[in-house]
Amino acid sequence: MRKKILSNQRTTRIETISFTAPAMIMVVITTYIPFALSIVYSVTNWKGLADKATFVGLDNFIKIFASDPDFMQSALFTIRYSVAFVVLSNILALALAVILARKMKFASFFRAVFFVPYVVSMTIVGFIWEFIFTQGFSSLYKVLGWGFLNLSWLGSQNLVYYGVVLVGIWQALGFYMVLYIAGLKTIPNDVLEAAEIDGASTIGRFFQVKLPLLIPSITTCLLMSIINSLQVFDTIMAMTKGGPGIASMSLTLNIYQDAFIYHRYGIASAKAVVFFIMILLLTKVILNALGRKEVDY
Amino acid sequence: MTSVSKKKHSFGRNKRTKLANTILQILLLFVSAVYFYPIILMCINAVKSRREMALSVLTLPKKIIWSNIAYVFNDIDYLTLFRNTMVVTVIGVVGIVSISSIAAYMLSRRSTTRYAKVTRAVLIAPMLIPFQTFMVTLLKVMMGLHLTGSIWGLGIQYWGFGVPMAVFIYYNFMKTVPKEIDESAKIDGASTLRSFVSIIFPLLRPVTITIIVLNVMWIWNDFVLPLLMVNSRSSTRTLVLGAYGYIGQFVTQWDYALCAMAMAAIPSIIVFLILQKYIVDGVVAGSIKG
Repeated sequence: MRKKILSNQRTTRIETISFTAPAMIMVVITTYIPFALSIVYSVTNWKGLADKATFVGLDNFIKIFASDPDFMQSALFTIRYSVAFVVLSNILALALAVILARKMKFASFFRAVFFVPYVVSMTIVGFIWEFIFTQGFSSLYKVLGWGFLNLSWLGSQNLVYYGVVLVGIWQALGFYMVLYIAGLKTIPNDVLEAAEIDGASTIGRFFQVKLPLLIPSITTCLLMSIINSLQVFDTIMAMTKGGPGIASMSLTLNIYQDAFIYHRYGIASAKAVVFFIMILLLTKVILNALGRKEVDY
Repeated sequence: MTSVSKKKHSFGRNKRTKLANTILQILLLFVSAVYFYPIILMCINAVKSRREMALSVLTLPKKIIWSNIAYVFNDIDYLTLFRNTMVVTVIGVVGIVSISSIAAYMLSRRSTTRYAKVTRAVLIAPMLIPFQTFMVTLLKVMMGLHLTGSIWGLGIQYWGFGVPMAVFIYYNFMKTVPKEIDESAKIDGASTLRSFVSIIFPLLRPVTITIIVLNVMWIWNDFVLPLLMVNSRSSTRTLVLGAYGYIGQFVTQWDYALCAMAMAAIPSIIVFLILQKYIVDGVVAGSIKG
């Protein structure tokens, strides 16, 4: 009897391990080992995929902060991009959601239109807009004569930022809109009706009733938009490759360039480690800040 | 639908909201037309002659140049690229669903053991690690494992990247599936694997759909991983890489480029239009749980 229980326990343990093993093995191979290697190589002067790397201590980290203006500039660009992206896409998505969550003709058609860019590959979205900025705008200028259409939106150091932000928002707006619509639908009707009976105006209802109840959706959208925008890569890679100069270089593109164009793998790994710590800290700060504000009626 | 009595009660107000609604609709129609215009521009210029495109990119083509499509179709070997993208997506999604669902099942049934707790944390934590922080060393590891340069290898790699979110979603859902269901199956003599495959997995259907939708969209449209792993030979490229190949550093032949882009994007737009409800629901479910 005792023996049987023991062997049962053993089969249970073997089952637990073997059923989870495929997932474990894949995650370890694709993420943990490469990530650990990133940390290891961040303190070496690794120069090529086949190369032997030698230990250089914290040299790479010192170099990044002391003598790599590209890194600081791309960090600054990434933060500027993120701020604009997060603020604008959340406000616009929320506004669209409020309009399109109501019962109205063609609401689902409009929702679909705004969602389409999200189902297209970000790389292709980048190309479409490169085409529009370089070819479409000049055609439009001939028709409309508006001066801003005749500017070089991707070719100028100052303007490229706005171009890149616009495309980022155009691609992702539908996604956040859909999340906000889902959030709005969970607000019970009786709460809104009660507010209406109490004489609250449409705007008052929105700010005093809907918005507080939407905090969970806002938290989700803010967190996702921050994390996604800090990792912006595909659209910029497609449109400008970080140019002109390094005017639209994001941190992820800077890491990519260091590694695959300049073959400074050690430096790239060190930047990756810094980037990871940055994202982790930010996520924690945001979660703490937002966690305390949820409202429950 | 408003009831008749309510309509009578606030007739003046209703009339006003009706007017406001109409104005809103017209405004929305205009905004959404502008919003959608880039997609249309891509499609109409894909079948324009280069000369006409130089005159205006905004108007519909006077003459549809079908040969653009034929040229790109042969030049990038569209059928091969389509098949490659399909194979990567199917291998990726089937793998992610199978290994994640079974792992989440085990973890939720043995959730009190220390092994399960640690495993769960290990499987879910990668959601916090950005891909770009280890893409360089990933390439080295994958070269070592001979998973680069092949469509199958690329598909298999997605298993690892898809597991964290899939396990997370499956695990949360498994908590709502009563243990008695699989326990009674076991009393009837079914093995754990069997009771999972024939009883539990079918119950997971709603979340399985969510996970399939999210992963198909991601893998089909993905760019960086295919760029790193399979871009070296034209026979192993995906559709997005095929379009990428037309974009030059200095000069781009936009007629062919737009054609390739449209041919890569249109399948995903069609799938979206057909499965709209599932896709929107799946995306919402995925991000609220994730």
